[in-house]
Amino acid sequence: MNGFSRLVRQTMTIARRDFVATVFTPTFLLFLLAPLLMLGFGTIGGLGAATMAKSSDSKSRIVFIASGEQARTVVAMDKQLRRMFSLASQPADLIVEAPSANPRAQAKALIDRKGIDTYAVLYGPLERPQILHVDNAPRSAEYLAELASQVLRAERAGTDAPLSEATKTVVSRTTTSESGQGQAAFFTVFALFIVSLMLAGQVVGTMAEERSNKVIEILAAAVPLESVFFGKLLGMFGVALLFLLFWGTVVVNLGANAASVMPPRLAAGLSEIGPAVGLVPYGMLFLAYFVMAYMLLGAVFLGLGAQAATQRELQMMSLPITIFQVAMFGFAAGAAASPDSWVATAAELFPFSSPFAMAARAANSPELWRHFAALAWQAMWVIITVTIAARLFRRGVLQSGSPKIRRKKAVT
Amino acid sequence: MACAHASPPATTVSQARGFQLHHELAVTAQGLVKRFGDRRVVDGVDIAVPKGMIYGVLGPNGAGKTTTLRMLLGIIEPDEGERTMLGSERPREMSDRVGYLPEERGLYPSMKATHAIAFMGALRGLDWKTGRKRAVELMEAAGLGHATDQKIRKLSKGMAQLVQLLGSVVHQPDLLVLDEPFSGLDPVNQERLEKLILAERDRGATILFSTHVMAHAERLCDRLTIIAGGKVRFEGSMADARGTLPHKAHYVPHHNDAGIAALLPVDAVEDGDGGWRFTMPDEGIEALLVRLINAGYGISGLSIERPSLHDVFVRIVGAQALEEAAAA
Repeated sequence: MNGFSRLVRQTMTIARRDFVATVFTPTFLLFLLAPLLMLGFGTIGGLGAATMAKSSDSKSRIVFIASGEQARTVVAMDKQLRRMFSLASQPADLIVEAPSANPRAQAKALIDRKGIDTYAVLYGPLERPQILHVDNAPRSAEYLAELASQVLRAERAGTDAPLSEATKTVVSRTTTSESGQGQAAFFTVFALFIVSLMLAGQVVGTMAEERSNKVIEILAAAVPLESVFFGKLLGMFGVALLFLLFWGTVVVNLGANAASVMPPRLAAGLSEIGPAVGLVPYGMLFLAYFVMAYMLLGAVFLGLGAQAATQRELQMMSLPITIFQVAMFGFAAGAAASPDSWVATAAELFPFSSPFAMAARAANSPELWRHFAALAWQAMWVIITVTIAARLFRRGVLQSGSPKIRRKKAVT
Repeated sequence: MACAHASPPATTVSQARGFQLHHELAVTAQGLVKRFGDRRVVDGVDIAVPKGMIYGVLGPNGAGKTTTLRMLLGIIEPDEGERTMLGSERPREMSDRVGYLPEERGLYPSMKATHAIAFMGALRGLDWKTGRKRAVELMEAAGLGHATDQKIRKLSKGMAQLVQLLGSVVHQPDLLVLDEPFSGLDPVNQERLEKLILAERDRGATILFSTHVMAHAERLCDRLTIIAGGKVRFEGSMADARGTLPHKAHYVPHHNDAGIAALLPVDAVEDGDGGWRFTMPDEGIEALLVRLINAGYGISGLSIERPSLHDVFVRIVGAQALEEAAAA
């Protein structure tokens, strides 16, 4: 057996042990279903927030003080203007009230009314309307001003019907849009960040098991430390892959069903979001960059975690590790936003942000050759990081120097 | 074992210590030095372990035994000196042919016993299937057949220790390195372990083990080295070790009186039961006995006691302690 195949065999032995020891435990089920819990809590939180917002919306008002025919025109123009707003950005519901003897006092009383939030009240002649509004509702005041202007135009034109009728035709783009590519790039960086945040951090404590069980001495005597580190990385990567495969299958199946019931406008919007290299190469590159991101960050975390002597030290490491990951995300997100900037080049070259930034590049630019170079560059850094981690472990924990370069192989 | 065996060297070693061995050597070390900070934990150790023998590395706690073994195995690198293992200067390249039981025992608690053994075999190149099959056979032979499917955390300390030893021999290594293998074992398991070590030697393996318990070394070792203060204080066979101290005589006269002491050697000490102990005279005991009989003391009992390894160890290590005290 030559040196390399021996190294591979030893690495796979460690990887297999770690994979089996992690997957065939009840706690793995908890880990696997963690997103479900996250989703559950998210849904509960979201529903709570939505209920609160809905309840708050139902109590919000803007008021237009007008009478008679003018009041009818106000309602008609309000209906026309609201078509321009999306559901989320609609102004508060409009109430039209008849004017009293003192419209200003009436407006102030409406603002101060208990049990209902009145954001703004318009009163007075339409040529010079007066608007009272609360401090945080300038846009409500703007809306009322625009509404008054439209009502005045309608009155002068003698009709509240639209003056022109446009014909609207929906067409689909044959290519993804620039902004769609940008969105795909950001989504890519975000997705990679989330999966690496959840999964790569798992390797931090794996060497602690060997140190606490004293198994490290057995491993160190039998296989090179580099194999131990690579084996642990691969073992945990197998766990991560299993996790992704499970949730990937769930999401794809749900997605296929969801597509058939998706509103056409949403489907059309989504069709504009897409990677520049095409879906299949993008999928392959995403997977390759996930592997590299996992291996690179995992190697750093594994190396750091191996230096920890106690659980307390491991816990202390979790914050700087998370900060490091967020920093890489921020760096790569900057690259995704401006693919031709120096930030993008720097993020693509810096080994630990490179997988994220290059995955974003796959969404932004159709060139493929860069990706082969980047993957080779990142693979080299995986080897460098693991080698450094193993050496630090050898020096710091095993209290040994590096192996000397031997002048001869055998005693003669 | 599937891997090819490198031919071990036939070498004359330890000439500086006055030994002439013409043997195939499984392990050699020359001038090994290891410093931790300013302290020289191992200070110029030479070792030559002949193939097929049981070789003991003896020494008090903190003598540098474990560090020496770890350097020989390539777990840590020496600061100075050279070592070979099974003919290679790169011990790690020979790791598939070596079994190792470290001083600090380590097993994964959640693993089944047979899986733990197979895993240790797999680390050294044995395929999992064969490893598991051999694990069952080895456990049954060692009297642990009832525990094959038990998890390590369910085993007693002694049983777990035996499982680990079985893990270190499952791939049938050419060299077995055991660091304090008997520590923490009850007498029954100690005897099991001794049998296992002898069986491995009979299979053809070389065994290198460290201990500070002389009884085990005395029963098992073909050759030994005594390390104290990081230095080799003695290296040789068991007979050589005993030869460093003269035999003792235990003499019981028919009757005792004050005059007998004048006839006995100057180091003679009365033992309280009417007998005397003294170092065997250089010219032999016959002349002394003639004088005692002629003086009318007669011989009620006489035994010649060879020095134990314990005596040798205490003398050598004690001398080192005196040396260190003098240096301080």
